This record gives sequence, structure tokens and C-alpha cells, in this order.
Amino acid sequence: MRLAPVDYLILSLYFVFVLSIGWIVKRKVATSADFLTSGRSVPVWITSLAFIAANLGAQEVIGMCASGAKYGIMTAHFYWIGAVPAMLFVGVFMMPFYYGSRARSVPEYLKLRFDEKTRALNALTFAVMTVFSSGISMYALGLLFELVLHWSFTSSVLLSAAIVLVYTFLGGLTSAIYNEVLQFFLIVLGFAPLAIFVVMKTGGWNGMAARLPEVMTHTWRYAGSASENPMGVEVFGLVAGLGFVLSFGYWCTDFLVVQRAMAAESMSAARRTPLIAAFPKMVMPFIVIVPGIAALALSHMALGYSIPLKASGGPDYDQTLTTLMAQFYPSGMLGLGLTALMASFMSGMAGNVTAFNTVWTYDLYQGHIRKHAPDSHYLFVGRVTTVVGVALSIGTAYLASHFNNIMDFLQLVFGFVNAPLFATFLLGMFWKRATGHGAFAGLLAGTGAAAVTHGLTLAEGKGGWLGAVLHTFPSTMAQNFWIAIFAWSTCLVVTLLVSLMSAPKVESELHNLVYGLTAIPHEDVPWYKRPAPLALIVIAALVLLNVWFW
Amino acid sequence: MNDLRVPIGSFFALVGAILCATGLAANYQAPLELENVNLYCGVSMLIFGAVMLWLARRKSRS
Repeated sequence: MRLAPVDYLILSLYFVFVLSIGWIVKRKVATSADFLTSGRSVPVWITSLAFIAANLGAQEVIGMCASGAKYGIMTAHFYWIGAVPAMLFVGVFMMPFYYGSRARSVPEYLKLRFDEKTRALNALTFAVMTVFSSGISMYALGLLFELVLHWSFTSSVLLSAAIVLVYTFLGGLTSAIYNEVLQFFLIVLGFAPLAIFVVMKTGGWNGMAARLPEVMTHTWRYAGSASENPMGVEVFGLVAGLGFVLSFGYWCTDFLVVQRAMAAESMSAARRTPLIAAFPKMVMPFIVIVPGIAALALSHMALGYSIPLKASGGPDYDQTLTTLMAQFYPSGMLGLGLTALMASFMSGMAGNVTAFNTVWTYDLYQGHIRKHAPDSHYLFVGRVTTVVGVALSIGTAYLASHFNNIMDFLQLVFGFVNAPLFATFLLGMFWKRATGHGAFAGLLAGTGAAAVTHGLTLAEGKGGWLGAVLHTFPSTMAQNFWIAIFAWSTCLVVTLLVSLMSAPKVESELHNLVYGLTAIPHEDVPWYKRPAPLALIVIAALVLLNVWFW
Repeated sequence: MNDLRVPIGSFFALVGAILCATGLAANYQAPLELENVNLYCGVSMLIFGAVMLWLARRKSRS
């Protein structure tokens, strides 16, 4: 792929805007709360778009296009089943506790609701995970730009890291959120035309569908048994594993996304954030997945396009998106497409850095190292942490480029840690008898159960390291779904049992933290701004989409 | 910053203008797409940017 001057012009224009947003936001940063939690003052349309953009990194965009080519429209389950219901749940049922407790982070909620050790466990694992995700995202960026544009790995990593550092250092969370919104529009306006052009080339939706096996354009028809669909998953694993455990575990408890809603200007705005975000989330598959499906149809058309191959011979689906861009975008739009990719890498990184910042400064530093310093000290620590966070991410990116296996291993372990989380929050928020000992034991047991499940089962050669193999899954995706189901159930049962055996927290300490002891404020807003009617509209649209693409 | 729509609107209006100009002046073609992609996308972005700026302006007046 060769770039023309106009492509570089657009890319540099983007950099100028990103840095100026950081510069302008800087004036509003006076306290640590401004820097780390946006002072709870961000308008709802901005928090909503940031809520989905924080998760819409470039790996997501590239990965979804790849999965579109590999699995077809079934990939949309990651959005329709695997995100939207959880987003509704966090907005309608959980946000009153997150926002109402006045906690500044998700780990801090755990401290208020349970105890210090539960918070420390969650904060520590979360901090390590964000640094690694940020580094892995940087590594992916370096690799992609090396492959596509022949830029050196070091220069793309350092350039993107430097820009992220400058704007998060200047404006903190607000700056990161504002740039995520810019990035959201870049992705939509940069990739929607690609989806349209590629699908039109294959003869519209029907033309495309006619060139592909039936299973590629149906979401549910072939989900009944694992052998009928290319994902190798069956409907229970899909709905319980992806739709319930994994998706609720991510969208309802991951501080990276929840932080965006917690930055909203009022309780009502915080609750509406994930609900409004659900609308663009539902249509994202048409922008990020459909080009991949169309690419497969295109490769059957004798136009000279084919899905790129790996050096080893198999299809390299991860290159689908960039090869499509090269085929359908002339210089100009090509620059904008690459800018959108670069932007999503950078905001993925910035999202992780800002979440890391808050958790490190408030939960680990203020919670354990220096408890009673003046606020200006924590603002200073927040700023220093930004620099440290970016530096650690760069280190991780290089680590990833040298030791690929370590990264695979770490991602596996992170999965074990995350899987049980939602059970802890569910019991914490809706059962006042749940105790700190119960939550802590449940989390450890859930993570253990995830590891044991992986050790005793096999899928595509993965797992089975405990010696005995009790079950073989048709795909690693099915294995992941079932690991999550076991981890979640174990955490639920252990938390229940240990809670019943330990002393409960006194009720006066649980106000605004648990259902039944929290006054949900009556909101004097028109019906279309209330959570329940909004959620019903989302559900109706979701059902319609699923029926349409059944 | 008072309104995020201002920088977003300005960014897309500028990029839209650049793409329109490129489309009109050069008509670059991609290997598989014969249409003037830059012009079409440029016009859409120009409109999007203008709407954002108009919304921000309308709000600041009221």
C-alpha cells in the first residue's frame, strides 16, 4: 500500500486535532477528580459514544472484519447477544449503585460494599491487565503498520505512544473521552463507505448472500448444534457463555467501560449512557463485520481479489480489512481509513491508560501507600502515573514482539480472572447478606475453576494440561464459553456458602450500595429520558434485528 | 472547551473539503472501484461536519 501526500495530510490533521483537544481540556483540570474522573461533568451523548468507543479498538475492528470472513453474520452475536443485553442491565439495574455510592472506581465500589482485600485483588489484577492490553494494542499497531506501510515498528509505536501520552497527560480522562468520540465518528465515516462499496460490488445483500453458503448470512438458523456452524458453538454455550457470563462480566464490571458512564453529569445521565450507547452498538456489525462477509463473496468472483494467505498457507483473515481498503479506497479515503485505524489504536491505548491511572492513584496508592495527602498530591501522582502507564505499555509492546507465547498465556490467565467477576457484583448489589470473605473466596474459587476447566478439557489442541481430558470441544470459542460458565457458577456458589458462614455487614454501612437499602431517585424527566422505556425500545430493535437476520 | 461538536465538526468539514478537492482535481481510482470515492465521501463528510457546527452554533446562541 503506497500513500500519497494527501493521505499524510489527513493523518497529520488528525494528530493536530487530538493534541489541541488535550490542550483545550487542560484548562478545566484543577483537581485530581477533574483529571481522574472528569469531575462527573460530561454530557450524556459524549459519555454514550465514549462508552462503546473505549471498547472499539482497532484490534476489534480488524478482528470483527476477520471473523466476518471466517464465521459470517453469526459474528454479530458478539454485539447483539454478547453486548446489548449486558449494556441494558448495567444501565437499568447496576448504575444506581455505581453512581449512587459515590465510588470513584469499580474497585472502590468493592471496597465500600465488601472489604479492602476484595478491592485490592480486583484493583491489582485490573491494573496489570490494562497495562498489558494497552501494550498488546500498541504491538498490534506496530505490526500492522510495518506490514501494510513498511513503517518501522519502533517509530509507529513511539509516535502513537507520544501522542497518547501528551493528550492524556494534559487533559486526563476528559481528554481521553473526547478523543474517543472523535475516533468513533472516524471509524463510522471511515469504514461505512467501505462496507457499502464492497457489498455493492458483490451485487447488494442478496447478490452477496447468493455467492456464499447459507450459514454465512444467518445468525441463529445454524446455531442449534456445533457441527453445523463454523464457530463450532451450540446455542446454550452461546447464550449462557457469551450472552450471559462473558458479556455481563465485561460490560457490567470492567472499569474501562463503566468509568465512561461514571463520568456522566448526573445519575440520570449515567444510567442513560449504556442505554443510548446500545443503539449505535447494534448497528456496528454492519460497519465492521459485513465488509468481511462481503470479502469472502468477492473472493469467489474472479475479480482478482482473494482472502490473503499466511506464509504457512492458511487464510490470514486479519488482513481482510486492510486488503479491502487497498482495493476499494483511492489515495485520500485511504488516508482517512488508515487514520481511523490509527485513531482506534490510540484511543484503545488511552482508555487503558486512563483507567489504569484512576485505579492506581485512588485504589492502590491512596488506599495502601499514602492515605491522607492533600488533593494536589494525588493530581501529581495521577500525572506521573500517566507517564509510567505509557512507559509500561511500550515495554509490554516490545515484550510481546519478542515473547508471543507469554502474551497468549497472559491473555488466558486474564480470562480466568475475569470470568467469575459478574457473580460477585450480582450478589454484592442484590443480596445484602453477601460478605467480603464470601466475595474474596468466590473470586479465587471462580478463577481456580476456570483454570481447572481449561486443564481438563481440550479444543483445537489447547488445554488439557492437567493430564486427564474429560471433554473435547469442537472449537476454542466453545471451550472459552464453557470455562466462563463453570467459573461463574463456582464463584456464585462459593460466595453464597462462605457469606452464610461469615458475619454480615451491618445494614447502616450498606446504604446506596445494595438493592433494598438504596433509594432510587425519582427522576423528573420526560419518558424518553427514563431508563425503562429506553431499554424497551432497545429490546424491540434487538428482537427485530435477530428475526431479520435469523 | 464548551462544546465538543466544534472540534469534531471542524475536523470533518476540513477533511471533507480536502477529499472533495482531491476528488475533483485528480479522480484517483482504486483497483476495484471505478467510482469517484473521494468526491462522494468528501461531500458526505462536509455535510456531517457542517451539521455538527450548525448544532453547536444553534446551542451557543440560545
